[in-house]
Amino acid sequence: MKHFFSPHGHGGGLQPGLGPFGPGKVYPSPSSPCGGPAVPAVRASYPIYQLGNPQLRIFRPNFFMTLVRPGVPQPEDTVQFRISMQMTRVDVKNYLEKIYNVPVSVVRTRIQYGANNKRNHKNQKVKIPDYKVAYVQLGQGQTFQFPNLFPEKEETPEPGSIEDIQKQFMENEKQRQRADPRRGGVTDWFGL
Amino acid sequence: MAAPRGWRLVRHGRCQLLHTKPSVVPPQSLYPPVVASHTAKSKSAKRLRLEYFYQKVHEAPSIEEKLRLYGVLQRPKYVVYPQTFSLNADRWYQSFTKTVFVPGPPPAREQPAGRADPPLSELRSLVCDALLQEHFYQRKRERPFLYREQEHIPAPFLTQLVSSLTAALGSHNPLLTTSCLDLKPQVNFYWERGETVVCRGYRTGRVDPVRFQIDDKPHVQIRVPKQLPEFVPLDYSVPGEVPVINHQPDKLPLFKRQYDNKIFIGSKVADPCSYGHTQFHLIPDKLKRERLLKANLADQIEVVYRANGIASLFAWTAAQALYQGFWCEADVTRPFVSQAVITDGKYFAFFCYQLNTLALTVRADQDNPRKNICWGTESKPLYEAVEDNNVKGFNDEILLHLVRFLLNTPEEL
Repeated sequence: MKHFFSPHGHGGGLQPGLGPFGPGKVYPSPSSPCGGPAVPAVRASYPIYQLGNPQLRIFRPNFFMTLVRPGVPQPEDTVQFRISMQMTRVDVKNYLEKIYNVPVSVVRTRIQYGANNKRNHKNQKVKIPDYKVAYVQLGQGQTFQFPNLFPEKEETPEPGSIEDIQKQFMENEKQRQRADPRRGGVTDWFGL
Repeated sequence: MAAPRGWRLVRHGRCQLLHTKPSVVPPQSLYPPVVASHTAKSKSAKRLRLEYFYQKVHEAPSIEEKLRLYGVLQRPKYVVYPQTFSLNADRWYQSFTKTVFVPGPPPAREQPAGRADPPLSELRSLVCDALLQEHFYQRKRERPFLYREQEHIPAPFLTQLVSSLTAALGSHNPLLTTSCLDLKPQVNFYWERGETVVCRGYRTGRVDPVRFQIDDKPHVQIRVPKQLPEFVPLDYSVPGEVPVINHQPDKLPLFKRQYDNKIFIGSKVADPCSYGHTQFHLIPDKLKRERLLKANLADQIEVVYRANGIASLFAWTAAQALYQGFWCEADVTRPFVSQAVITDGKYFAFFCYQLNTLALTVRADQDNPRKNICWGTESKPLYEAVEDNNVKGFNDEILLHLVRFLLNTPEEL
């Protein structure tokens, strides 16, 4: 069953007597502190469905999408997202096209089941939450590569600083511990 | 001092054996050759079992037995659909089948003298008749159900077009008089390409070939008893590259299934018409031009035609080659050529395929410079519109192309 997401508070500029969904019942917008989808108490009433009418109306959606690094290498035009369980591939496409102006060709989704066999200190089963993954193929020949967020930096300490002296000292100590290279790897158990 | 003298003598003798050719041929060994074990759990034993299997297939008494042994081992394989909604499927299919795609028609062959061109006006009237019959004259009572519009009007039009044109051109191309016209035949092919490591299951960690299967159903096909002539020589180096894709086929997306490894050209092995002439494909409703344009996938329209042409023709030509006794370890000694026309009722695209190599497995492809070649055109409309009683904007080029396709025949008959 689809959940209808409520806008946060009443939108400014709406005429009195009209709810946020047009003439119909106005239902309270429950506050959702944790940012999850909120189910309204009373569903808004729309005219009867006829061929061509919109089937799902979402205003200011309460969805969230997370761009993730793919665990398995993906083709260049594929971007991987973790999306809300209630989203569909049509929602993902509209979300990216309308809010972020990203041209999207095709979206494929799957649900990753989180296992339920971990146990806590009371031997109760602990469930890892399920999540939905979306693979978005970009349009107009665009490509995307997930960036390296933690590049390794070569730390060259400035000469004269404490780190430099420490580093030099540690290197000298390691050099003293190493065996004589002229012995060719033979330990000093043998020989004089 | 016996030992040093003996050592020197032996050394001298050995040096002589190394640098001079033996004048006497060594006698036949009394003992059988030393080979690896057949049943041990070792790499050399696995190699030997493979060699025995290949030998068994080489020495199969009949083609049916050879085909049976070729696909006797059933394992999960990727099912390749020629008519697919996947994006950029034509590049992936080219890499699966080692095909170079060359846009444009194939190199023209010299026309032998004394062959008159068929009258285009008669053929044009035949085509217009078939078009008007389906679009205007025949009253179709039922409204087409969802995703079944193609079989309402374009499908019967295509069948009528092919059968009437083939019958009309029989006098100009005697090969067509001995041909076989199949309606909705099955064309299947199974092959292996590349290697991968099994990641899940009881066979984890083992290196396995990547298996593919095509199960195609062209709308109409023409089979002939003689092979069409080649467009280019067998070892011709095509100016073009086979695209190399370093991702798993799963990412296309392509899915695995395990079932019978079938190889079929449309008729069984004993049929005399065992070579292919032309296939006619109809684009399904879900891949129609209007749907792709509505979904903002205008650049994928040509991709659909190309992927269909490459996959279907590769499966057909390769199955024909297997029917003649060739397989990946016994590569083809002559090229196998077939043609295809892919249409959605209004737009026509023409494809020619030349199969130069069947050796696509890792072992057989190590020193194989040959590549398969596919020539293809862009899709062009046959007519602009059909209004009431007449066809507006009939394109004669498409008709000419179609006629040339059907008139394609080997020189000596």
